[in-house]
Amino acid sequence: MTRKIAPSLLIIFLISIFALSLGSSEISGIWRYIFNPQFEPSSLTHQIIWDIRAPRIAAALLVGASLGVAGAIAQAATNNPLAEPAILGTSAGAALGVLIGVLSNLVEVGSLGAIAFATLGALAVTTLVFSLAKSALTLVIIGIGVSAITSALVGLALTAVGRPDARSISFWSFGSFALVTPENLLLLAPILIVGTFLAWKIAPSLDLLSLGDSGVRHIGKNPQRIRLRAFLLLSILVAVTVSTVGAISFLALAAPHIARYLFGPSNRSLVIHSMLIGAIILLSADTFARSAFSPLELPIGLVTSLIGAPILILTIKRGGDVWR
Amino acid sequence: MIQISHLSVFRDKREIIKDFSASIPAASITAITGANGSGKSTLLAALAGDLEYQGGEIKYASRELREISLKEQSAIRSVVLQNQSYWLSFTAREVISMGQDQESLARLDSILDVLDMKGFADQAVTTLSGGQSQRVEIARALIRDTPVYLLDEPLSAQDTESKLRIIAYLESLRDQGKTILVIAHIDRDSLTWCDQVIDLL
Repeated sequence: MTRKIAPSLLIIFLISIFALSLGSSEISGIWRYIFNPQFEPSSLTHQIIWDIRAPRIAAALLVGASLGVAGAIAQAATNNPLAEPAILGTSAGAALGVLIGVLSNLVEVGSLGAIAFATLGALAVTTLVFSLAKSALTLVIIGIGVSAITSALVGLALTAVGRPDARSISFWSFGSFALVTPENLLLLAPILIVGTFLAWKIAPSLDLLSLGDSGVRHIGKNPQRIRLRAFLLLSILVAVTVSTVGAISFLALAAPHIARYLFGPSNRSLVIHSMLIGAIILLSADTFARSAFSPLELPIGLVTSLIGAPILILTIKRGGDVWR
Repeated sequence: MIQISHLSVFRDKREIIKDFSASIPAASITAITGANGSGKSTLLAALAGDLEYQGGEIKYASRELREISLKEQSAIRSVVLQNQSYWLSFTAREVISMGQDQESLARLDSILDVLDMKGFADQAVTTLSGGQSQRVEIARALIRDTPVYLLDEPLSAQDTESKLRIIAYLESLRDQGKTILVIAHIDRDSLTWCDQVIDLL
């Protein structure tokens, strides 16, 4: 395992260094600041690199990693190659959950309580979508429908209410790193670590789900119980990312497919590799988004769509007899 | 071993199995035959515990199936279903081993041998032919040492040689005291290896 994750870790390290050097301000002698974090700590350059760029890089890595794990869990839990938080309604459910919590004055946007509400909303909508679906294909169609209804409800409520704090939820639909704070990161990091560890723990039971529900029952295990645990983890990971940076499209779909192509289908290794690949993709996408046309910043969701959507199309083309 | 009395099973509000009774003795091979749509697979699903039944009783060694936990059921019967499909490229060996206990895993090599699967055991299940995939499902059931085996058309995609091989193995299991129930699409004449043939009308 260590040997297999080394290349990914090296790539993450190199892109992070590179990303620290890129930005809208031209800085001479920048490498001195990067390779020696103690260099001129009170200078503007030091602040730009370590107080503005570094937290944003950390956020991209953490969110990418969470979504990578979330995608792996989503596909395994539903035994469906097209499952991801956006299609299962998990992301839309998280937004609805927070909105309900905020409008009923129980929690504030950005708080731990808001994440709890987001988790509940995510879990409720995901479970609803799954229970309505009867096959791999209807899961996707119902998921898109329920997501659309949920997002529409959120959008309508935001427009009708006009409360400034609730309004800030609306940026979630597009995804942005602009509002990430170091406090967010302190919340995101432990949840990602615990979530990934738990995903790794339940991974062998997720393998079983590929036998189909009857197949799992025949060997004496309860597929619903395995799936509920997976949905809960998925909801927590999505809730925390959605409430930090909003919905990032296609990343959770693409990362597990790339990981599976490179490292095989076993969910134990998939969780780890999908996490690392998710981090690599999102950091690359965000670095591109903020530096390609600097000082203009591209919407991150558009960049990840450009990477993720072709993978979606390839998956369907190679889908074979999954579609019944 | 299995007592079915006045069984009634509905699917989508249609009564597929109507007042069906049968007795499956221990240490025997029973075939269930019938035309398309006669409810053979529905009956097997009910016996396997996969499908709720609305009326009547299914008893395994005089215990009502509904009262037997999932875990206990898995120790009583093994099941081969039709048309299992996979999208993940696990190898045949990995799929057969999935979720099995040590005792079952110890039989892996001999089962691969019996079903003549050594040639494709390490191939991805997504690349196997219909007959090979069916043998993966058979292996997944036969690797488990349970008193009852329920098989839904296990020979439908097999060539003559594999058929004979599988039948011989099922007969040896029967001789060891196992109770075997096979759903068959074929007519009675080719089921001489079965001790009992029940026709679903």
